[in-house]
Amino acid sequence: MPPKSSRAVTDKSPGTTARSPELLLGIYRLLLKCRISDEKARILFRQGKYGGNFYSAVGQEATNVGAAYGLRDDDWIAPSHRDWTSNIIKGAPLKFCFAQLFAKATSPDRGRSSPAHMGYPPLNVITPASSIAGQLSVGTGVAFGLKKHGRDSVVVAFFGDGATSTGTFHEALNFAGVHKLPCLYVCANNRWAESVPLRLQTALENLSDRAKAYGFPGVTVDGNDVLAVHDAAQAAVTRARAGEGPTLLECKTYRWYGHSEIDPAKYRTKEEVEGWKKKCPLAAFEKQLLDKKILTEAQKGQIASEITAEINAAVEFAEESPYPDASELADHVWAERGA
Amino acid sequence: MARTLTLIEAVNEALLQEMERDERVFLLGEDIGGSGGVFKATAGLLDKFGQDRVLDTPLAEGAIIAVAIGSSLVGWRPVAEIQFADFITPAMDQIIQQASKLRYRSAGGFSCHLTIRVCCGGGGGSGLYHSQENAMWFAHEPGLKVVMPSTAYDAKGLLLSAIRDPDPVIFFEHKRLYRTAKGEVPEGDYTVPIGPAAVRREGRDLTILTYGSLTQPSIDAAGQLAQKGVEAEVVEIRTLAPIDKETILNSVRKTSKVLIVHEDKRTMGFGAELAAIVSEEAFEDLDGPIVRVTGPDVPAIPFAPPLDKAWNVDTGAIVATAEKLAAY
Repeated sequence: MPPKSSRAVTDKSPGTTARSPELLLGIYRLLLKCRISDEKARILFRQGKYGGNFYSAVGQEATNVGAAYGLRDDDWIAPSHRDWTSNIIKGAPLKFCFAQLFAKATSPDRGRSSPAHMGYPPLNVITPASSIAGQLSVGTGVAFGLKKHGRDSVVVAFFGDGATSTGTFHEALNFAGVHKLPCLYVCANNRWAESVPLRLQTALENLSDRAKAYGFPGVTVDGNDVLAVHDAAQAAVTRARAGEGPTLLECKTYRWYGHSEIDPAKYRTKEEVEGWKKKCPLAAFEKQLLDKKILTEAQKGQIASEITAEINAAVEFAEESPYPDASELADHVWAERGA
Repeated sequence: MARTLTLIEAVNEALLQEMERDERVFLLGEDIGGSGGVFKATAGLLDKFGQDRVLDTPLAEGAIIAVAIGSSLVGWRPVAEIQFADFITPAMDQIIQQASKLRYRSAGGFSCHLTIRVCCGGGGGSGLYHSQENAMWFAHEPGLKVVMPSTAYDAKGLLLSAIRDPDPVIFFEHKRLYRTAKGEVPEGDYTVPIGPAAVRREGRDLTILTYGSLTQPSIDAAGQLAQKGVEAEVVEIRTLAPIDKETILNSVRKTSKVLIVHEDKRTMGFGAELAAIVSEEAFEDLDGPIVRVTGPDVPAIPFAPPLDKAWNVDTGAIVATAEKLAAY
């Protein structure tokens, strides 16, 4: 019998009660780290410090942090182009994240992928391709392999609303459903696929409804409520570790900026953008913690300055790192041409 | 001990022996389990190894390759089957954007140790969508290895190499050869290395470069040519990627004339690359134009018998073209 599927969860999350301050502060620190790092990445791009492009996820931090916070080292993340910060969440040192933007030889891929397309093999973050939904493919395969080993590790695959329109999405989720794979599919539904609005992407109100077609639960949460996302993700991860199969988690959120740094996003109204900025996931969570006195103003300043110092050191590391040498061009094409 | 096996029996034996040798090897594809494969390449393997190692997948080529890629990242050695080369297109994103580039784009951090078996080629009356021979699509993608045996011996030895190879290998099995190519195959474990071409017949007057289903017709043609006083050397390019330039160029330097023979379409076909290699690297040694005998520039092999037959490159066509070239 298929599990209860397509529950559109709109309940208020239980909030900060009954959670340890360590957990709450850990989540807060990570939210802030992602926010400041992402904003710094944008600034560096605009300063011309690196080329290519950057795909900011500012405004969506609660989705990524809530979903991936607390994953183990042996768990996997399959990120998209907008999930550069998923490396930070998984624990990749910031210096490598910024070296990635700068395409330096110290980046995990030695400057091969474009700036935001970062993976981190030591912690099982899969280096993404640009083809939309491709990470769902590979992530599903990893989940299959993990289950085949009898391990209880899980895969968290991130993607946007646009990816749900692809055949790849269907093939991946269908396979995962058939084999009850330990995979959490996290859709950051930010309402815009580049310039195409959600109403031209889907006739559904909740993208989590798609899970019904694959025989596993689909859950929709407020993607700007980090605890709501975290609760739903933890429930899904627990299910996955127990061999009960995948979950599709739709997080309704919003990207504050354009599709990329060269997209002024004039297709959106100012009112829409400003309305979502008022629902800032970081500010909302910060206020909760301040109100409950789990976080003090002094601590807040302290955490921010620690993160800023770490970022500054990471940027310095990236700037000072050399580019890969031209002689590396054909390294790592095949195994025998490794470095 | 060697016995005579058909090419498809050799494939089946390679799969069976490698699955016995290496527990990380598993098979996945459409109809490979319960039915043993459309051509029976995997016959008996489900019974022997069970569903954990012989997996009938949903009808989704993209997912088949995706699962092969992902499971290889956590240590498995998947062997995926694409039932017909004509149906590999839904998996192109996974093959081209993921499998061929994952090692490169992660600077060796991730790699795809996997094999994709593909049944290809005209089988006589198979029609537009069960007859395509499109190996050259993949030879264009660095990061992949592309193999196509024409003998039972090579089928087993190359497939064992492919499964053990740390890179993604696309292993083409020509359906016309499945039961027509027969030969001695050792019972035990052996490999034929991926890369080297094979000189199937030595000759001094011209070189025939070929692969797959036209290897044997090319050898037959060389036999007929010999009766007419033309000694043709036949080089079978068993591995389309990486290409064994050395064997090709050594032969060309000896004979000074090149005839390229393949079943696939002509324009931008694999023969064009072979001609370019010869032209770039052995131009001074040439004593005649590089000529091709290939399939026509028609989308695929049509169904009606006269049209199907009209596609075929046969021994007669090879002989006729070779004679002209020899006389040049």
